[in-house]
Formats: sequence, structure tokens, C-alpha cells
Amino acid sequence: MNKNNCYHCGEDCSVTPIHFDEKIFCCNGCKTVYDIFSSNNLSYYYDLQAAAGASPKVVQGKYDFLDDAAIIERLVAFNDEHLQIVNLYIPHIHCSSCIWVLENLNKLIPSISTSQVDFPKKTIRIHYNPEKTSLKEVVILLTHIGYEPYISLDDFDNKKKDVDRSLLYKLGIAGFAFGNVMFLSFPEYFDLSSSKASGGEYWLNQYEGVFRWLMFTFSLPVVFYAGIGYFTSAYKGLRSKILNIDVPIALGIIVLFVRSTSEIIFDWGPGFFDSLTGLIFFLLLGKFFQQKTYSFLSFERDYKSYFPIAVTRILENRKEETTQVHNVKRGDRLLIRNEELIPVDGILINGNANIDYSFVTGESEAVHKNSGDKIFAGGKQLRGAIEMEALKSVSQSYLTQLWSNSVFQDDKSSKFQTLTDSIGKRFTIFVLTVAFSASIFWTFYDPSKVLNVFTAVLIIACPCAIALASPFTLGNMLRIFGKKKFYLKDTQTIEQLAQIDTAIFDKTGTITTAKKSIATYEGLELTKEEEALLKNTLRASNHPLSRSLYELLAEQDIVTLDEYEEHLGKGIEGSIDESNIKVGSANFVGKIASDDAKNTAVHISTNDMYKGCFVFKNQYREGVAEVFKEMSETLQLAILSGDNEGEKERLEALLPKLTPLYFNQKPPDKLEFIKSLQNNGKKVMMVGDGLNDAGALAQSNVGIAISENVTIFSPACDGILDATKFKELCSYILASKKAIKIIKWSFVLSLMYNVVGLYFAVTGQLEPVIAAILMPLSSISIVVFTTIATNILGKKLR
Amino acid sequence: MEVQQFYYDNKVVKKFLYATMFWGIIGMTVGLLLAFLFIFPGLTDGISWLSFGRLRPLHTNAVIFAFVGNAIFAGVYYSTQRLLKARMFSDFLSNFNFWGWQLIIVAAAITLPLGYTSSKEYAELEWPIDIAIALVWVAFGVNLIGTMIKRRQRHLYVAIWFYLATFVTVAVLHIFNSLALPVSGLKSYSVYAGVQDALVQWWYGHNAVAFFLTTPFLGLMYYFVPKAANRPVYSYKLSIVHFWSLIFIYIWAGPHHLLYSALPDWAQNLGVAFSVMLIAPSWGGMINGLLTLRGAWDKVRTDPTLKFMVVAITGYGMATFEGPLLSLKNVNAIAHFSDWIIAHVHVGALAWNGFLTFGMIYWMVPRMFKTRLASVGLANFHFWIGTLGIILYTLPMYVAGFTQALMWKDFNPDGTLVYGNFLETVTEIMPMYWMRAIGGSLYIIGACVMIYNVVLTIKSGSKVEDELAEAAALTRVSSKRTAGEKYHTWLERKPIQLTIFATIAILIGGAVQIIPTILVKSNIPTITSVKPYTPLELEGRDLYIREGCVGCHSQMVRPFRSEVERYGEYSKAGEFVYDHPFLWGSKRTGPDLLRVGGKYSDNWHLNHMYDPQSTSSGSIMPSYSWMVRDEHDRSNIRTKMETMVTLGVPYSQEEIDNAEALMDTQATKIEKNLYSDPDFATNYEADKKYAAENGIEFIEMRDREIVSLIAYLQRLGTDIKIKDVTETVTIK
Amino acid sequence: MSVIYLLLGISIIVAIIFFIAFIVSVRSGQYDDSYTPSVRMLFDDELVKESSTLRGTKQTVKSDKKSQSKQIDCSATLAIENKKSIQLNKSLNN
Repeated sequence: MNKNNCYHCGEDCSVTPIHFDEKIFCCNGCKTVYDIFSSNNLSYYYDLQAAAGASPKVVQGKYDFLDDAAIIERLVAFNDEHLQIVNLYIPHIHCSSCIWVLENLNKLIPSISTSQVDFPKKTIRIHYNPEKTSLKEVVILLTHIGYEPYISLDDFDNKKKDVDRSLLYKLGIAGFAFGNVMFLSFPEYFDLSSSKASGGEYWLNQYEGVFRWLMFTFSLPVVFYAGIGYFTSAYKGLRSKILNIDVPIALGIIVLFVRSTSEIIFDWGPGFFDSLTGLIFFLLLGKFFQQKTYSFLSFERDYKSYFPIAVTRILENRKEETTQVHNVKRGDRLLIRNEELIPVDGILINGNANIDYSFVTGESEAVHKNSGDKIFAGGKQLRGAIEMEALKSVSQSYLTQLWSNSVFQDDKSSKFQTLTDSIGKRFTIFVLTVAFSASIFWTFYDPSKVLNVFTAVLIIACPCAIALASPFTLGNMLRIFGKKKFYLKDTQTIEQLAQIDTAIFDKTGTITTAKKSIATYEGLELTKEEEALLKNTLRASNHPLSRSLYELLAEQDIVTLDEYEEHLGKGIEGSIDESNIKVGSANFVGKIASDDAKNTAVHISTNDMYKGCFVFKNQYREGVAEVFKEMSETLQLAILSGDNEGEKERLEALLPKLTPLYFNQKPPDKLEFIKSLQNNGKKVMMVGDGLNDAGALAQSNVGIAISENVTIFSPACDGILDATKFKELCSYILASKKAIKIIKWSFVLSLMYNVVGLYFAVTGQLEPVIAAILMPLSSISIVVFTTIATNILGKKLR
Repeated sequence: MEVQQFYYDNKVVKKFLYATMFWGIIGMTVGLLLAFLFIFPGLTDGISWLSFGRLRPLHTNAVIFAFVGNAIFAGVYYSTQRLLKARMFSDFLSNFNFWGWQLIIVAAAITLPLGYTSSKEYAELEWPIDIAIALVWVAFGVNLIGTMIKRRQRHLYVAIWFYLATFVTVAVLHIFNSLALPVSGLKSYSVYAGVQDALVQWWYGHNAVAFFLTTPFLGLMYYFVPKAANRPVYSYKLSIVHFWSLIFIYIWAGPHHLLYSALPDWAQNLGVAFSVMLIAPSWGGMINGLLTLRGAWDKVRTDPTLKFMVVAITGYGMATFEGPLLSLKNVNAIAHFSDWIIAHVHVGALAWNGFLTFGMIYWMVPRMFKTRLASVGLANFHFWIGTLGIILYTLPMYVAGFTQALMWKDFNPDGTLVYGNFLETVTEIMPMYWMRAIGGSLYIIGACVMIYNVVLTIKSGSKVEDELAEAAALTRVSSKRTAGEKYHTWLERKPIQLTIFATIAILIGGAVQIIPTILVKSNIPTITSVKPYTPLELEGRDLYIREGCVGCHSQMVRPFRSEVERYGEYSKAGEFVYDHPFLWGSKRTGPDLLRVGGKYSDNWHLNHMYDPQSTSSGSIMPSYSWMVRDEHDRSNIRTKMETMVTLGVPYSQEEIDNAEALMDTQATKIEKNLYSDPDFATNYEADKKYAAENGIEFIEMRDREIVSLIAYLQRLGTDIKIKDVTETVTIK
Repeated sequence: MSVIYLLLGISIIVAIIFFIAFIVSVRSGQYDDSYTPSVRMLFDDELVKESSTLRGTKQTVKSDKKSQSKQIDCSATLAIENKKSIQLNKSLNN
């Protein structure tokens, strides 16, 4: 590890390294954590993984609301006088060190009895004794050691997501029964040569019954528990007049079961129990494979996941109290601390408000507000504490009312008909015609065989392979995308993605990076002294602009200023011996207000003489131009930006000719825009970030959220794309188109099997063995085909 | 649910470790002695308790149950406590487990050489010891499950599941296979006869391998490999999946040991089918084990522990690939009865079990004695010499097996066997036996080096003491208080209670089911011409069992032209209805004996037993001279016959009453036959006179063991020597 | 041959036991987190008796290894190296 990197968090500590215990730390926070660990013999933490930590940022009073019994009751999973159990989501969990230290919490607070980490989910489950400690203490401890839990309004509503394992049971039962039935039916197959008629094998004839009835018993739970889903779904389908794929399947299952049972009752033969159980097992396997979930992601986040549970209300007698966000009423006085989110629309009463709306509007730079200005929910206060008066309750606020829109209620999956279902219709009709025509033929030819043929057709034509094609293809695609950091909600999204013809992009944070921005200097050349002075002046200020400008400027040797003054909301002023410098807004440095108000700029004057200004521009993600170029070949494109038109020229330069650009789009506008497109029969993909796009993402056929840090912030959407992979977006879309092709091909493949089977069935010579061979063979070959095909596809992706 | 402090019981682990190493050396040495007996048959000439037939079961039992067994316990006791964050359930049971097990081993080491054996492979021990085994094993199970109940770690690591499976299955297997009716203190007859006995035996035999040599070691692998490599197992998901699939399939695979035998075809095929399926879960385990070390190969290069584990896992992979291969009928047709099988099992035993154990020891000893391994160099030496040993052992055995099997099947154009004399096929592979002995020696040298190394390590370290640990007890959270979330210990304890009850249930249920099968006359398609053994033959048969003849001679002619040509009519299920236990055997170091009856004269047998080389030069069969000298104690015959009757052998009451008389007449007849050889007559008379003069009490030939044995051998297979027998199916 | 059916019975019973065990363990959430346990088992949790007097039994073996390392230098460093090399297969996350 680099020697001037922080021993705890590995950050570069060039600015002011802290030396402690022969190690250096970037900040006091890290030092403290190290101190805590080493003094509690937890320094093994650093042995497990170097620099695993995160520097803690503790905000005074941030967790006061955890004193509120009502809130605690909602947060904890279990609660009695001696024991509380709480599950906390800790985004920072990322390595074995984390697991180790978090599971040794009781070395820090003895009254924590156990703490168990769920690494994939990045959650920790803590048992502690509320008599000796409190939830607040626990949370603060976690924050102190750099594992700040992420508690939001979402947790408050505390909808206990009960993990549904029924599919796993069904799979288990089907698999278990399949194995045993296979085991029990083998003997008859191996003994075909000498069937009962021709004397037969002694033991077998002796115990045939045992075998057959055992098979029957095994098949019962499979049909009536594991397979029940297909009956219900088929029933639902028929009720709503749709012949989905489950109809022929259900038909097949019923026929299989009934015929097999009657076969053993009347001693006609062994029945098809192995095919029956096998069929259901494979189908469930497909279902199981299809549902790949990213336990560390959430596709259902709404504003609740970002809003605080409680805020500080200031009472008339200037007393402070924490109150649940839901209880904030019109006219309440609220205290918003540094780095806290503004929960409701309101008016700034006092304090120096510097609010970052990037999350809501996509506006990249923080805006300064003066008392009396209106401030909106979702903004984040950046510097110091402010006091505000609520104008609305949470639910009516500018941002949050977006969620009252209907798009958030109905889920689009119900509207969408999958490829499999669309084929199911034709297939069912085809099968039934074959079945009936075959039986009609036999009625004249040899009536005794009619029933046999009829059932045989339905059995053999049971579209197991077809039903498997798309789960395995798409399921595998889902995994491949996942490996490429393109996380999709479900397999259906891939089908949707393959169909889109229009792609809408948000600007800020989506095609521009939230992180670094570039500034260009316009004006008179600065002298060495002036640059040094500038840099040192900026160094003192912690206004976001100053900070980013400070980072951009060349290194200067540090000198202490004789004078330094910060004019809130205007700018800063500093001086060393005779020379003095002013940095800030145009009129502050004494420049006549100019037209380029659209662009964020920092103006500079030295000794009351205007020099020039640094103009900040968005930094676009690498490969934006290419992505748009590729896409424009197959898709219609458009930009919807909440930002002003400042970037218009650059965008036009960057993007393909005639790409429509829309600016100053409020969240509802975006939503409406997409709706209108869809009404013109367009299949729309929305690519965005932040809550301001949430409406659009929900409305669109496929909503993709771009995120720099997938584990934390991403609004409700169908897919999350890691920002680093943005330039691959187009290739992913093409890949999903190809995936659909693969499915179609495997349909063809499985149909061929069906034809072969149908031959045996129609000619009335379907032996259980044939079914038993054909069914797994077709299923397995489909699985193999799709897996190989998709993997080849995946190889090509970057 | 406050944090509690407790101690991990290291002392018992230490004891088991010592036992492992001690018995390891013993068992391997016996094996080596056997390997040399192939080359120098006369090595232990005339010492009955050091004869090949009696030592072979000692070797298998010593390495499987003493060496591997103790290794399992050591590993299980070490890992279970740490994985469950709890001391073993009961120190008494731990020690009972340890001392009981050692006692059993000692008992085995005494009884087997003395010829007290049931002759069922890996289950040779007689009934009192079987009961002891059951007891100790249950004690182990209770201890394990008890620990699971009072565990402080909610999640049951996959290794624990493997241990649990081991306990349950082995218990069931052992009990059902060992069901036998006692005749005397150390003699019993299996309740099953012939084909049935064979099936039960190999159902056990296969699963003994599966659940004694495989599942526990997979558990150990899942604990010690990650520990030693210090990285999590490659895919924990995979480990879970492969556990459950292994459990569900393994149990069916048994019949593949009886291919082409008199077992019904479909049962054989069943065995084949499931054995083939087994490859998937087995390789799941191997891949998971090896991939755990991916990216840590640099450490493998330096760390002997990991080296051993890598070879062990590879060995497992090879053995589990070869297994299904061998269970394919056409492969089995060649490999069965040959040294190929010996090679196969030793890949498993030497590499998988042996090396994993060594790796485990090298890892545990320094930790428990709080020091470092005395000499990494020696450990590396052990690794290399051991590996070389394995190669030198197995490769020649493969060659030997192949060569011999092919020679057995080799025909002349005129339809006669090229190697009509079995001996030719033996002398051909002697060089291989030489190499095998060398390989074995290398392996043992390695083991001794390890012991030396461990001793040094222990000397340098501090004494083993129980380690202090702390963890909070699992919290019982009443279900309704937190509806919706499923983390309740009471629920989790269910599987444990289940296993206990279920095991008991099986035992009772099984017993209930088995009583009828014992008492009801087994409904085999019997062959009218097949009659029970005469009293003398029965006694002779018990000698055959005592001397472990079954270790080298099969009694199962498979329906191949080559075998029918060589030995005679192939075996019918009906022939064995009175065989308690069955004596089909699994290896042909010597020729098959099913149809040996009437092939040679009585004198030939006498001389052959006294000095095999005299009748068949170049034979590697040791001399059984004591049988020619010693008097045969046939006092138990009535009880034996009565036992047989309870097992469904149709001896009439008067037959039982006149047993002695019957024996005498048959014995005298044989004695008379023997006189037909002048040499015998002269020598025998000389002895008699000499005895008379020196007043030594003389044992009549008719009273000697050899006579009974001859009687049995001459009877073998004669029941259906009559041409074209028709299987008349009759259920009584 | 009745014995085949005995064995068959036993085998199925055993299988069923394990099957029940499987279902129950799934229900009890044993397999909800199929990754962390594989890391957790790597952490040794022994405390050292002697040191329990030092700081209220809050001393782990690792720290003990360190204190040893002052005396028997190499052993501890060895231990540390091992610890360093723990890696997670992140692959599981995607």
C-alpha cells in the first residue's frame, strides 16, 4: 500500500496527513476508528484486508430520532424488555474485514450479544439488550467506525418482506419424487425383453404392484402441490380468454396423471409417472433459473428510500424535538442540519442555505437561497444548519406528489404478453386439432385405440421444451448482463428491451458525470502571485465551487493569508501583504451582470480589478457520442433535461444531427412526454438517474437508471446500469434482440421433438419408455442449446 | 442470550489424532506384509494367525475403521465445536466414543487373526463387536446432535450436514448388514442367504465406502481446505447443492458390485444407472475443492498441507470418475475380480483418505500445540515420497488387473483357453506385485517421517489445553412476537429431533420388516437338486470362512464363455439358498472354487493344503499345514444346524440328532479315500506308530480339520453338475 | 429376493428423512444467505485464557499471535500473511 495513503480507508492524504502510531491517516475520523479498533484488539481488521475502512462522517444529532420509542418500535424486527433485534442496511459492507469486525461488535459494546452479517444483502442483524444500550448508541457506534447504516423512511414503513421459498420447496419435492420414481420405473424398462406376457422376470412380476403404487404415491405431491401453479395460471388465462402456454402444460399434466393412474389400476402398464414428475421438475427448474435476484439492489425505490424518518422541529419556545416526517404539518418550523435532506416544500427562515437539487431536478450545481426564498423537498442542505417553515406536508410536496401518479400503482408486466405465451396460443390449437383428427381417424380404423391415441398426443405434445426455452435463455442473459454490471429486474425486461424503438435520455448525471466537472478560464492572464493567492484563498473556503476549483488549479505552496473573509452567498475575499483577491459571483467582484447567466461561473478580481472568470462545464461520460451514433442507426433518440439550455451548443456538437433536445423539463413533463410517445405506438426506453426521472422511468416500457454507485442511489426502474458501462448500452440492447432470436430457434428445435413424439402418439405406439426418453432429452437439449448460445453471445459483450 | 464463555475440547481431539497416527502405521504395515506375502508366500509359514486369509480383513478393517475412523473423529470433533461455537455435548460421550472405538479396534486386532470372522467384507467382525460398534456409533451421534442442539452459531455449515449424513446412514447400514443369528460367543450366521446376503452385503459395502470414506471426508474437506488456504470455499451454493444431490443418489448405487452375478438383471442395471449419475455430484465436490485453491497456487507451492489436500482432492476426482466407469457392465466384465479393483480402491484410500488425513494432521498439530511445524522440509519429503508411493502402487495394479483379466478371457482358435492353467495368469503379474510392494513401502516410509515430524513438533510446542472462546447463546424468539420472519431456533432444532426420531423409527420399522424376511422361507426360485450341506460340510464351510479363503477365491462363475470354459456351469441364484453367509468373494487371486467339487482327489486337496507348491508349482498360496494337523472341534454342530433351521434351511430333526454320527461316517469315508494314496498311507501310519511309542495322544485323520474342509470343497457346486439344469420356480 | 424390497424400503425411508431435513432447513432460513457462512468459518474465535486477566477476556488469539510475534517473530508474521490473503469471490454478487 502506498505510504502516504490512509492506513484506515486508503484515501490519499496529501492535504494534511495525521500521524498516529507510526501510521498515517487522512482525517481524524479514520484515526479515531483505528484507535477504537486497536484499543479493543480488533486490529485484525487491518490484517484481513488492508485499508478496508471508510472515514466516518458523524453529523451531530443526526440520529436523535432514534430516541423516539414509536420510531424504534417500527425499526426493530423484535422487541421485548431484554432483547431488541434490528436489521440494518450498511452500504459500505464490501469485504471480509467488514464481516469480521461487524460480527465482533460486542467487543465494542458488550450489551450487543450477537451481530450477524448477510454479505450479499449488505445487511447486519444485531441482537442487543435495550436495558444496557439503545438503538441510537448502536447506530452511532456503527457510524463511528465507518459503517453508517442507511436508515430511511422506507424502513419506517417497515413492510416485512417475507421471503417466498415456495418455489424452492416445490422444486425440492419434484426433484425428490422424480429421482425416486425414475428409480422405481427403471426395473420395468430394463426388463422389457421379458415382459409379464412372455413369462417375465420373476421378482418383478412378483412385486410389480409395489413399484407402481409407490410411483403413484410419489407423483401425488408433485401434481397437487408442485404442479398446482400451472393449473391456476391456465385457469386464469382461460378466464381472461387467453390461451397462454400453461394451458397445454396443464392439459398434459392432467392427462399424464389420469392415464398413468388408470393404467396401474387396470394393470395395463406402468404408466408415465417418471415422465410426469420429470416434466414438472424441469419446468420448475426453468422457473427457478429465471428468477435471478440481486439481493444488494432494489428496483422498487421511491422517494421514501431517500427521505429521513424524522426531522427536528423547533417549537415556539425554541426547544427542539424530533418528529416523524409524516407528522410535519404546514407551518412547522424545521431545523435542517448540514448534509440533511429537506423533507417538505417550505420557506427558508434563516441560515445560509446552499441546496443541492441535483437529485430532484438534475441541476448539477448547488443553488444559494436567501431567507424568504422557497425551497423544495428533496434538496440537500450542504453547509451549516438552516431553519425553514413547512408549506406543505410530505405527500403534497413538489417532488413527492409525483408518486401519486397512477404509473407507480400498476405494474407494466401484467400488460406485456411474453413471446412464450404468444406462441402458446397457436401451439394449443395445433395440438388439439392433431389430437382430435387423430382420434377421429382411429375411431373408424380401430376404435379400441382412440383413447390411447388421444391421450398419447396430449402427453407427448406437452410443450415442456418450449416452456423451458425462454426461462433458460433469458435467465442466462440476465446473469451475463449482471456480470457486465447491467442489472435487470427480471427476464421480461430483456424481452421488452428487444422491442424498443425509441430511447430517451436525461442529461445531468446520465450522460454527464456527477463527479468531476471542468472549468475553463476566460479573461486576462493571472500572474504567478495571483494564482498562488487564488489557490490559497480557495483553500480556506468550503463552498462546493471553491473546492472543485481548488482541485482543478495547479499545486501552489501553502501560505497563510493575512486576511480572509467569506461573504455568504456572494463569494470570498483574501489578501496577502498588499495584494488582495475577490472570488465569487459577477456583481460581487464588481463586474456588470452579463448574459452568460446560464453557465455556472466563478469570477475573479484582484485589487478591485476584474480579471476574468472560470466557467464550469459538464463533463460528459466517455463514449457518449459513440453510443448516440450507434443507437441513432436503429432507434429514435431524444434528450430530456431538467437543466437550463447552457449546454445546448455542446450537446448539439456531441450528438447526431437533429437529435431533439428538451430543456427545463420538470419530472411530470418528462412523464407526460413519454406517455405521448407511447400513445403514438412507440416502445420507449428511458435512461435516467435521480428521482426527477422516476416518473419517466416508471412510465417508459423499459426504464434504465444510470448509477455511479449501484448499491446506494437509484430510483424505481427496470434496470440499473453501472455508469462505467454506459458506452456499452447499445451493444446490450442488440444482445437482448439476439437473445430473442435464440428463443425462437429453440422453439423450432423443440417443435421437431414434438413432431417425432407425435408420430409415435398418432400411430398409437407410444410406450412409456419413449416418453421417458423423449421428454428429458428434448428438455435437456434445449437447456444445453440455449446455454451455449447465450454464452457465446455473452463472450462478445464487454 | 448474554455472551457466554466456554472451552473447546482439544484433549479428545488430541487423543484421536494420536490414535489415527498409531493405527495408521499398524494398518499400513499389515497391508505391506500382505503385499510381501504375494511375493514370498512362505513368509509366515505355518503361523495360522499370520496367514494371508486372516490378515487381509485385519488390514482392511485397520485402515478403514482404525486409521480413517479415528481421523474422521479427530476432524469432526475439532471442526464441529468451532463451527457450532460450542463444546461437545458431553465430555463423557466424547471419551466413551474414543475409548470404546479403540477397544473395538483392539478386539478386532485380536479376533480377526484368530479366525473369528463373518467373512462379509468390511463387516468381518463377529456379532459382539458389531453390537459394541453400534453402541459407540450411537454415542458419537448423540454427542454430535447434542452439540448441534446447544450450538451458538445459527447457520449449520455444510460440513456439519455431511457429518450428520454420515452418522445416520452408517448407523442404518451397519445395523441391517450385521443382522445375524449367534451360534456361540464368537460365531454367527448371517440372517440372509446367498443372493440376498450378497445384495445386503454390497448395499452396505458400497455405502460404507460412500458414507464412511466419502461424506465425512467431504465434510472435513469443506472445513480444512478453506482453513488451510485461508480463503472461502469456491462456491458455497454449489457445496449445498452437491451435498443434497449426493445424499439422494448415493444410496442406490450398491448393486453395481454384483454385475453378472446371480442378482436379477434389473437390479444390476439399477446399480449401473445410479452409479453413472453419481459422477455429477461427486465431481461437484471435487471441482469445488480444487477451485477453492484457485489463485492460491503460489501458497500451494510453499505449503505442504495444501499440497496434500490438492492431491487428495484430485484422487477423489479420479476415484469417483473411475467408479461409474467400473460400474458399466462391459468394463466391469474385465475389471471385476482382478487387481484393477485393488488399484481403484487404493487410489481412493491412499490419496483421498490418506493424504487428506495427513494434510489435516499437519494443519492441526501445530495449532493445537501452539507452535510451528518442526520441519517443512520433512513434510515436503513425506508429500513427494507418498505421491511416488501412490503412483508405484496403483499403476502396476492397473497393468496387473488388465493383463490378467485379458489372459483369463484369451481363447485359442480351436475354442480352448490359451491359459487354461490359472497359475500362468498369476506368474505373469508377479513383477507388478513386486512394484506394488515397493510403492507401499514408500508410502509407509512417508507416514513414519510424518510421525517423526509430528513428535518433534509436539516436543517444541506447549501442552494442549482446551481453548477458551465466547459467543452468545442463540436467542429463542417466540413465533408470534415476530410474525413474518423465520429465524426461530425452535424451528431449526426440528431437523435434529427429526433425525433422532427418524433414525429410531427406521431401526424399529426395519426390524419389523426384516423379521418376516428372516422367518418366512425366502422365496427364491429353488433348484430341486440343491440340498443343504451335510453336517461335516457345514463344519468345513466354517473352516473355509475362518481361514478367509474368500479373500482370494471367488465362488461366482459369471455367464461368460471364458469362465464357463474354465470353471464350469455359471452360477444360478438357486444354488445359494442355503449359504449363510454367501461366499461369492470379490477378488480372484486364485481360481474360482464354485465348481471345484469332484475336480481333484481328496489326497490332492490334502497335499495342496499342506504344501500348495507341491501340487501346483509356482502357486502363491500359503500353506495351511495346521489344518492338516489340528483336531477339529465339531461340538457345536447341533446348535449350528438348529440356527440354520431357524434361518430356513430344511434340516430334519433326526438329521440334527444324529449329526455326530453323520459326520463320523462321512469323515471316515474321506479318510478311507485318502488311504488310496500309498505315500499318505505310509506317512500316516508312521506318525501313528511314532505317537503310540512316545505315548503322544494321536489325532485320527477323520477328526482333523482338513477332512471337514475336503468334505466341503468336494461338495462345492456338485448339486447342479448334472447338465442343462432347468430352474424350476417354486415358492414354498 | 424379498430383501431387495427391504433395502428399497430402508433406502426410501432414509431418503425421506433427509428430504424432510432439507425442507425444514430451507424453511428455517438456513440457506437464505449462501455466502457469508463460507467466510465466517475462516475466522478463529479462540480467546486466550491467560490474557483474560489483562483486559476482561477481550483478547483474541490473533492479538495473542502478535504478542507472540514479539518473541517468536516469524510465526506471527506468517499468520498475518495468511490473513492478508483472504479474498472474497465477489463473483457471487453478480
